[in-house]
Amino acid sequence: MFTVGLTHYLVLAAAVFCCGLFVMMTKRNAIGILIGVELLLNSVNINLVAFDRYRPIGGTDGQISALFVIVLAAAEAAVAVAICMNLYSNLNTIDVDRGDALHG
Amino acid sequence: MTSLLASMWLPSGEDLIRFAPELALVGTLAVLLTVPLVIGRSSIVAGRIAMVGVVATLLLAITVGRRAIDGGLSGLAPPAAGGMLILDNLTVYFKAVLMLFLAGTIVLWFIISADTEQHGTEFFVLLLGSALGMVLMTATLNLLMIVVAIELASLPSYAIVGFDKHNRKAAEASLKYAIFGAVSAAIMLYGVSLIYGLYHTLNMTEIAPRLVTHLASGHNVFTIGIALVLVLGGIAFKIAAVPFHFWCPDAFEGARIEVTTWLSVSSKAAALLLLLRLVDALSGAAAAQGVVLNALTGLAWVIGLMAAVTCTWGNFAAYRQDNVKRLLAYSSIAHAGYMLMAAAVFAHPASVRADHSPIAAVLVYLLVYAVMNLGAFTVVAVVAKATGSESLSAFNGLGRRSPWLGVAMVMCLVSLVGLPPFGGFIAKLWLLLALGSQGGTLCWLLILVAVGNTLISLFFYFRIVRAMYLFDDRQPSFSAPVPGIALVNLCAVALLLLGVLFINRPKLIADRYARNLFAQRPAGFVQRPLDRNDGIDPGTAVVRADEASSTDGPSAKRR
Repeated sequence: MFTVGLTHYLVLAAAVFCCGLFVMMTKRNAIGILIGVELLLNSVNINLVAFDRYRPIGGTDGQISALFVIVLAAAEAAVAVAICMNLYSNLNTIDVDRGDALHG
Repeated sequence: MTSLLASMWLPSGEDLIRFAPELALVGTLAVLLTVPLVIGRSSIVAGRIAMVGVVATLLLAITVGRRAIDGGLSGLAPPAAGGMLILDNLTVYFKAVLMLFLAGTIVLWFIISADTEQHGTEFFVLLLGSALGMVLMTATLNLLMIVVAIELASLPSYAIVGFDKHNRKAAEASLKYAIFGAVSAAIMLYGVSLIYGLYHTLNMTEIAPRLVTHLASGHNVFTIGIALVLVLGGIAFKIAAVPFHFWCPDAFEGARIEVTTWLSVSSKAAALLLLLRLVDALSGAAAAQGVVLNALTGLAWVIGLMAAVTCTWGNFAAYRQDNVKRLLAYSSIAHAGYMLMAAAVFAHPASVRADHSPIAAVLVYLLVYAVMNLGAFTVVAVVAKATGSESLSAFNGLGRRSPWLGVAMVMCLVSLVGLPPFGGFIAKLWLLLALGSQGGTLCWLLILVAVGNTLISLFFYFRIVRAMYLFDDRQPSFSAPVPGIALVNLCAVALLLLGVLFINRPKLIADRYARNLFAQRPAGFVQRPLDRNDGIDPGTAVVRADEASSTDGPSAKRR
């Protein structure tokens, strides 16, 4: 019988992390990039909770950290979406390639 | 549940008094938010409240620091989980410098934006909020707390960069800053989660010795390496070190000038001191175990090469800029590179047993850099307000059009280059001496890079001087606001004094602050030499493992 262990969770987290990086690098839409960032943060959550579940001695640091990460993700999304709104009202688009007033 | 409540730890009154500066900053935020409900919205009132709050925080930081400096170190944390919030000399020094600089930034706001500001309350809430995040960033050794503090510093920064809602550049700049910032924070968090998985704790004082043991014995080296690189990447983003610098010139050009001034010093300074603290935890643990680690040498080389590339790239890119604000943004990248060099030295195992001169050099550099950047940016702000342009051509003939601004700008720029007789020279000198005293291939390489870069930077800083004094296209002279001239000349005179009369003073202060550093050491830590004149004789200053672990930081340091 196939049992799920720590490794499986870590592989899942790594896969989600890579998906997030891929989304973030290929999307040109600002909201799409933010979704990629959410994937990255959720892979962190999977890692933290899995490590916590399989740690040899008791403790909840990982789960508490996961809660913090969820809150951070929410705060970050709120600010970033507001900034996207602001960009839209200025440029009428949220395509990041169209923002070319600054040459970075 | 009851057992959880029984085991809950609550800070005592004395613990809280130690963190009065942070509490004052939080209180100022609350007052800023509630006052408009009572007396109506007023930007000027908000500015005054912020100013009072910042000055109060500065005074509290100095008062608390007086008690902390020679022995009275402490951490606000449950005894079992030290390092959650630390009060030590590094945090005291940083708080004082940061609040001084924040006060300067607020004065700059009064000079430049107070008359046109629509949303003063929001502006200062964001400004002080990011300041609080930066203060916390340098005051913790808990990985989760580090991430939370970085986010607390970053989120208001994203918003404040795009504060002018109808400015297209600002909107773009804040989006770039926010996206880069969010990604790098997420990547850093992934590194933190890996470290948590390896060591089942987030407390760096517990992690460091075990991490060093693992590195020495070759366990998990691959995972540790990835985790450290990811965490370092997150910090390097805040420092704007190459290759994580892409946000920096754009954000600094798009933001308002007082925001640029603020971010150009504070976000880099906070991240640098955080890096120094982490590096010190690692190298301290390595010293405690008496192992010379190839891995730490690798870390030193990674940071060192990053520093070298950062300052070289910043200086070369600055040369092509025509927007003075953007030029100074690149110059701030270069200066971050110089300061990063000291962190690299610190990680170098050869320097583990040496004194704290790299830290002291960074502390001096931070102070001087804050002063000269404030001066230079104030000149740009005043000129931009008078002429409506931030380009280099707006500076043509400034030496004739506004002599007071011109002279002060030259002094700030010469100091930024790092030439005598200004503070910038002294700061760079201490940095190079710290590098030289450590020796080793890496240090000599870094010295060469620093000196070479000083020569390169001469060219682009003197483009501004040339525009001010050699090109004169007969533009009308203008009368700059008196407070602006006063602030600029205050900075210039301070730089001159730091470079001529008080050469040693900041260094002595920084030595004092750098030496008695870090509240809680991992058990078994080897104490470094405490006495200023005793040179390097680690044998006399070894704290036994049992002594270090049975006493808290304060009493161990008070010997």
